[in-house]
Amino acid sequence: MNRRKKILAMILLQTVIALLLSSCWNRRELNELAIAVGAGVDWVDNQYRLSVQVAIPGQVTSKRGASTQAPATLYTAEGDTIFEAARRMTQISPRKIYFSHLRIFLMDEAMAREGVAKVLDLLARDHEFRPDFYLAITKGTTAEEALKIMTPMETIPANKLFNSLQISDKSWSSSMVVTLDELINGITSTGKHPVLTGLMVTGDKKIGEDKKNVEDIYTPSQLQYSGLAVFKFDKLIGWLNEKDSRGYRLIRGDVKSSVGYVSCRNKGKVVLETLRTDTKLKGRLVDSRPELDIKVSLEGNIGSVECSGLDLTEPSTIRQLEVDMEEKVTKILEDVIDKVQTEHKVDIFGFGEAFHRSHPKTWKRIEQEWDDRYFTSLVTHVSVDYKIRGTGTTNDSFLNDLKE
Amino acid sequence: MPEVKISLRQVSILTAMYLIGSAILILPSGMASMAKQDAWIASLVGMGFGFIILTVQWQLSRKYPETNLLCLSEKLLGKWVGKIVNLLFLVTLFLGGPAPVLHDIGLFMTVQMLPETPIQAIIYLFGLLVILGVRLGLEVLARSAELLFPWFLLLFLSMSILLLSTIKWENAQPILETGVSPIIQAAISFVSIAFLPNIVLLIVYPGSVNRSEDTHKAVYIGCLIGGLVLFMIIALSILVLGPEVTARNQYPSYILAKNINIGNFLQRIEAVMAVMWFITLFFRISLYTYAITIGFSQIFNIKNYQPLVLPIGWIMAMVSVFIYPNVPYEAHFNKKIWGPYTITVGFLFPLFLLCLHYLRKKRPQKSKKSSNSA
Repeated sequence: MNRRKKILAMILLQTVIALLLSSCWNRRELNELAIAVGAGVDWVDNQYRLSVQVAIPGQVTSKRGASTQAPATLYTAEGDTIFEAARRMTQISPRKIYFSHLRIFLMDEAMAREGVAKVLDLLARDHEFRPDFYLAITKGTTAEEALKIMTPMETIPANKLFNSLQISDKSWSSSMVVTLDELINGITSTGKHPVLTGLMVTGDKKIGEDKKNVEDIYTPSQLQYSGLAVFKFDKLIGWLNEKDSRGYRLIRGDVKSSVGYVSCRNKGKVVLETLRTDTKLKGRLVDSRPELDIKVSLEGNIGSVECSGLDLTEPSTIRQLEVDMEEKVTKILEDVIDKVQTEHKVDIFGFGEAFHRSHPKTWKRIEQEWDDRYFTSLVTHVSVDYKIRGTGTTNDSFLNDLKE
Repeated sequence: MPEVKISLRQVSILTAMYLIGSAILILPSGMASMAKQDAWIASLVGMGFGFIILTVQWQLSRKYPETNLLCLSEKLLGKWVGKIVNLLFLVTLFLGGPAPVLHDIGLFMTVQMLPETPIQAIIYLFGLLVILGVRLGLEVLARSAELLFPWFLLLFLSMSILLLSTIKWENAQPILETGVSPIIQAAISFVSIAFLPNIVLLIVYPGSVNRSEDTHKAVYIGCLIGGLVLFMIIALSILVLGPEVTARNQYPSYILAKNINIGNFLQRIEAVMAVMWFITLFFRISLYTYAITIGFSQIFNIKNYQPLVLPIGWIMAMVSVFIYPNVPYEAHFNKKIWGPYTITVGFLFPLFLLCLHYLRKKRPQKSKKSSNSA
């Protein structure tokens, strides 16, 4: 009995060890992977054209001048579906493409006008995609072309796209970080339509694709974020310019930091650096019509003074600057709301969601007609509160002592 | 019956692990699809229901503190009727309990982490572990639960804390929009997955706890811990992902872990977090299997349950490979069949026995004779 047990245990042990030592089925060795860092989808002749930027690990780390090969390569394939195109890529790629480290996903304008939902389902369903990459729409260029541009500083262009989107989102606020989950939520929500950052290629694209682009101090062709793309559900219907984009972001309440100016009494400008913002949207019912209160509070410092005769030691001067800035921001916000209401006619601000939160019962009744009937004529009350906290490292500007 | 004694603390921990079990993986999605942003309220309501059910279950057990549920039904229903009921109960429990949970872990691995691995590989390995654990007995299971519980808590709390910065309170608003009936529905699904299967504990614990008069208290504490963990995971899913994304994903808890990103530095740790549900799922399957094996040994009057573990475990692993033909079938099963089934065996069955007990108490002499003759 004991012996038989022992033998059985040994056999069991052997089996388990054999099973475990063979490791997992899905093992992927690093040298068998093509790590995709950027991807783009273009809509060409009723077909998807998928372009994938793959990092070449050896080139990223190699010393300067060691090799003439680029740090990344681009594979392009076409297909009736994106998944097919991705697999078709194995015809030209020596390795299977691995999407878990994707940083940026681009779609061109034609794709966006056709509708992005079809593209997004694959990204949401496939297990290789993680929810931490950003999405953007290429403006005036195809995604394929945008992914071909060589970039200085960040050798892998997709990393440059990822980082500069993050930085400009944080400190300039005209472009905007959007992840897959947020975009899908925007598409499916009835009270808010999505927006995506636009991406342009400036300068000569032909040079941009060439190594010449990164050889000199002056970079002839750059990848630049510009404006926001306005969507109705999943279809692109228009663009916001830089000023409107910043107003939009302020209404959405996710601006971290930005810069703006007010004009002085006598010629010149005072620049204010905004450090913190907070926005509260609150719906209310007036004669059974929805209305919306937008309360924006900002905090900032005086960034620079470009005019004389301003007594910054006097609290009333500061108050005056605050009032000027409040008026200006109010104007910007009202402008962008008005523009979207008349031009685009879709609620990208999430006013519907705000109203939904405050009046869930009424919302049920008006939900279906929100875009067509209520949003375009929605009365909004914008109130801005700007608080200037500091004046930088100096008090009064030396411009006051300037004798002309 | 095996001669084992476990302490009250071990009972609490084992209960908590059993309760969290597979619910941590499958519960948030289903509840969010029913109650939308109010799923967290539903989980609290569910906990309320759950404790009512627990009271019924343990009220019964406290009348006969040293007899387990199966002996009890033989005693109260008569020997043969009791045995038939027990057999029916164990077979259905076997098909609805451990086999599907084992399938769940295989499915999770093949969907999220190893899509090209055959599901058999994962199920057999995990099944082997369960067989090993059950064979070694309740004492070993309880001690390993004691050892692994701090790890589970560490992972769970670190996940919750790391996610705090991504919480969006708007996701939970407006509160109570969906109305009462979806919340009740979601609460019932919560109870049927988390609390009702606790009937299994009535087979496992009686006679195996060193202070049997306080077992029910330890179980309540364990259920409270487990319920709170589930409530937190549901609330986090809603607050971080939003009700739509939670409902759309098969495993929102895993997506939650994917969302952890502290300063682009502490990220991509979802595979570590997945250890959390490996631990709880192991105890869920093990306790199910343990209860079923000692149940069978009792029905067939086998003194030692250990020889039964290997064949039952083997059958379980085989069955769990094909128990669900596809993923939507599983969702359908959980929604339509598992609920009524668990209400029957987890609530109505003990309630029926309890009523029978009171009836017998009223006419003690007569009923004893009739039970002998049955």
